[in-house]
Amino acid sequence: MFESFIEGIGLALRVDTMLYMSGGLFLGMFVGALPGFTTLMAMAILLPISFFLDPLLGIPFLIGVYKGGIYGGSIPAILVSMPGTGAAVATTFDGPALTKKGQARKALEMALFSSVTGDLTSDIITIALIGPIAAVALLLGPPELAAILLLALIVISATSSGVFVKGLLMLVIGLFFGMIGQDPIGALSRFSFGIIEIESGIPLLPMLIGVFALPEIFVNIEKRASAFIKAEDLKIRGDRLTWSEFKSCGRTIARSTMIGTSIGMIPGVGQVVAAFMGYAAAKSASTHPETFGEGEIEGIAAAEAANNAVNGPTLVPLLTLGIPGDNLTVILVGAFIAQGMRPGPLLMEEQAPLVFAILVAMVLANILFLGIGYVCIPFFAKVVTIRKSFLLPLTLVFAFAGTWVFRAQPFDLGVLVFFGAFGYIAKKLHFDVTPMAMGFILGPTLEYSFGQSVTLSSGNLLPYMLFERPITGVIFAITPIVTYLMWRRSARLRKQFGTEE
Amino acid sequence: MRIRNLTKLLLGAVLALGLSIDDVKAEYPEKPITLVLPVGAGGSHDRNARVFTSVIPTYLGNAIIVKLMPGASGQTGTANVARAKPDGYTLLFTHNYFDQLQKHVKKLPYNTDKDFITVGKLNSGNFSVIVHGNSPYKSWGQLVAFAKKNPGKLKFAHSGNWGATHAPALQLFTEAGIAKSIVMVPYKGGGPSMRGFLAREADFTMQFKSTILGQKGKVRVLISAGTKTAFKGVPTFKDLGYTSDIGLMHRVIMAPRNIPADRLAKLRGALLKVQKDKTYKRLIKAIGEITDYVDGAAYEKQRPAQSKAYKAMISGLMKK
Repeated sequence: MFESFIEGIGLALRVDTMLYMSGGLFLGMFVGALPGFTTLMAMAILLPISFFLDPLLGIPFLIGVYKGGIYGGSIPAILVSMPGTGAAVATTFDGPALTKKGQARKALEMALFSSVTGDLTSDIITIALIGPIAAVALLLGPPELAAILLLALIVISATSSGVFVKGLLMLVIGLFFGMIGQDPIGALSRFSFGIIEIESGIPLLPMLIGVFALPEIFVNIEKRASAFIKAEDLKIRGDRLTWSEFKSCGRTIARSTMIGTSIGMIPGVGQVVAAFMGYAAAKSASTHPETFGEGEIEGIAAAEAANNAVNGPTLVPLLTLGIPGDNLTVILVGAFIAQGMRPGPLLMEEQAPLVFAILVAMVLANILFLGIGYVCIPFFAKVVTIRKSFLLPLTLVFAFAGTWVFRAQPFDLGVLVFFGAFGYIAKKLHFDVTPMAMGFILGPTLEYSFGQSVTLSSGNLLPYMLFERPITGVIFAITPIVTYLMWRRSARLRKQFGTEE
Repeated sequence: MRIRNLTKLLLGAVLALGLSIDDVKAEYPEKPITLVLPVGAGGSHDRNARVFTSVIPTYLGNAIIVKLMPGASGQTGTANVARAKPDGYTLLFTHNYFDQLQKHVKKLPYNTDKDFITVGKLNSGNFSVIVHGNSPYKSWGQLVAFAKKNPGKLKFAHSGNWGATHAPALQLFTEAGIAKSIVMVPYKGGGPSMRGFLAREADFTMQFKSTILGQKGKVRVLISAGTKTAFKGVPTFKDLGYTSDIGLMHRVIMAPRNIPADRLAKLRGALLKVQKDKTYKRLIKAIGEITDYVDGAAYEKQRPAQSKAYKAMISGLMKK
C-alpha cells in the first residue's frame, strides 16, 4: 500500500497535470460564481474533454472544476446574497452583512482560506483513512440517512435567527413545498393540480435565488439613498484578512472540517447539510452567538470549511466500492470508465498507484486553488465598489438571467418572482427563510429514505430499527434531547437580548 | 414621407433578397440542432449523447447540442419536445421505458406514438442480475425456486419505480412467476442501488456490465441481457426461455412526428454514417458501451410489440 502511495506521488507531480488542474479550478470558480450555472452542468459539459486526455490530466481537470465550483458559489453569496450553489446558502447569513459593513474582501478571503483549509485537511484524512471511510459508507443506509436528516433539519431550524417555533414553522412550510410534484417513491402526483411545470416539483435554483436574493434587493430599494454605503466606506472595502483574524477562527475551521469530513463519508447527504451543521456548531460553541447572522467572519469560516471538507471523502465510496457518493461524482465515474478504470474494489487492487496519484493530485489542487483564488479575489471584490444605484438593478438582472439560463423555462421566472415575494414577506414578519429552503432541499431525500426503510423492514419499522439498525435507534433517541436543548438555548438568548432584533 | 417609403422599399428588397438566398441554400440543418435528454447529468444517456454528438457534425454539417431537462420521470423533457416545432431542430434522446411503458402506468401530457418518430436506436444498455459472491444461489433457477417457496423473503434493489432496472426486473419476475414473492426496494438511481446491494440491504440487483466488472469476486452474475452473453458462462434471458428483449434499455433518438421527410432522412443518414466512424467506435468502447445500432424504420416496427408486452405485464401485476 505504502509503495503504491509513493509511486502515486511520483505520477502526480507533473507540470501538465498542474496546468490542467489550474484550468479546471478557474473554470469551476467562474461557473460556480455565476448564478444559474451549476457545477454539475459545468462538469457534464466538460466531461468529453477528459475522454481524449491522459487519465492524470482529464480526471484532475474535472476534480479542479468540482472543487472550484463549490468555492465559487460563495462569491455571489457574500457579495449580493445570491447563493451560486445550494452549498453556499449558509454563507448568505454573514456574507452580505459583512459586505454592507465594507468588508467584502475580508469575507471573500476568509471563504477562500477556510475552504482550502477544510478541503486540504479532508483530503489528507481521506488518504490516511481510505479503508475505514469505505466501511462507513456501507454501514449507513437509508434508515440512518433518514434519522440523520431529521436531526439535521431540527438543528438547522434551531440555529436560524429568531424564535425556534418560527423556524420550525418555516421548516414545515419548506417540507410542504418539497412535497409538491411527484412523490419520490411511487411517482404519483401531489398538489400539482395538473400543472405540468410543477409535476417534477418546484425547481430548486429559481427558488433559492428568489428567496435569498430578491428580498435583499427589495429591502435595499426601500432604504433611502443616504442609507446606502457612503463614499468613505469605499476605501476600506479593500481591507484584507489579517493573520490574527484567521487564527482566531482556527477552532471553528477545525470543527467544521471534522463535521464536513464525517458528512462526506455518508452517501447522499452532501455539502448543503455540512455547511449548515458547521455553522450551527460554530454558533453554539461561540461565546457571542448573537453576532452570528449580523456579519460574523467566523460564520463564513464555519460554513465554507465544512462544505469544502465534504469533497475528499465523497470520492472514497467511488474509488473503493464503485458507487458514487453524490451526483457530481457520478460524472467522475464517466471519466474513470472512459479511461479504462472501472471504479470498484478491483481498481484499488490493480491500479493502486493511479488511485493514489489522483488523491495526491487532489491535495496539490488545494495549493493551486489557494493561489488562483487569491489572485482572483480583488476582481470579484471590485463588484461592490460599483455604485449601489447601478449594482441593485444589475443584481436584479442577474437574478432573472441566472434563472433563465438554468433551463430556459418561462415558468421558472414565475417561481423566482413568487419566492421573491414570499421571502420579502417573511423578512418583514421576521421569519427566517433558511429552514424553509432546507426543508425543501432535504425533505424529498428524507421521505425517500424513510420509504426505503419501511420497505426494508417489511413494515415492522420499530423492531427493525432497534435490532438491525442500532445506529438509527441511537440517532432517533438523541433527537428529542437535542431539540429540547436547542429550544432552551433559544429561549435563554431571547431573554438575554429581548426579541430577536 | 417619401423617405419612409423608400426605406420600406429598400427593406422589402433586402428581405426578398434574403428570402431568395435562403431558398437557394436552404440545406437543413442551417443551425445547431438541440437534443433534449429527459434525464439528469452524468447518467448513461448523458455519456452516450456526449460521445455521438462529438462525432456527428462531420456528417450532418452542423452541431447537435445536448440539453438536459430532467424531472417528473422524463416527462418534463419529453413534453418539451412534443410541444416543439417539428422542424427537425429539436430532437429527443429517450429510452424504451419512457417511450412505451410509462403510458401504461400514468397519464402523460403527450402521446409517445402519435408525437414521436424514431430517428434511430443508438445502442442499448445491457443489464445483468447479480447476487453476492457468497450467496447460496449458484444459478437463476435456484433463486427462482427459493423465491417461489418463500414469498417475501428475497429483496431486490432497483433504481427507482418504473426506472431503468425496475421495469425489466418486473418483466423478468412476471415471466418467472415470482413477481409477487420479491420485495422490491427502490433506490435513487443505479449507484445507490448498488450501494444498498453491497451493504446487503438486498439479496440481488440488476446492474450495467461496467458496474459489475469492477467488483470481481464480490458478486456473482446469474443471468444477463442481450443476444450474446456479456459474461462468460452466464446464460442470457433468451437462453433460459425468457423474452429476449428483457434487460435491454434501448437508447433512442426521436423527432417530433411531423418532421419533414427529407430532414428525417438526412438525420437518419448522418446517424448511420456515425456508426462507421472510427473515433466513435473507439469512444463508445472506452465508455463501456456497445454499438448495436438499429435504424429508425426498423425500430418503428418494434415499438408496438414493446408496448403490448409492457401492457400485458402491468395488467398482470395489477391483478391480485
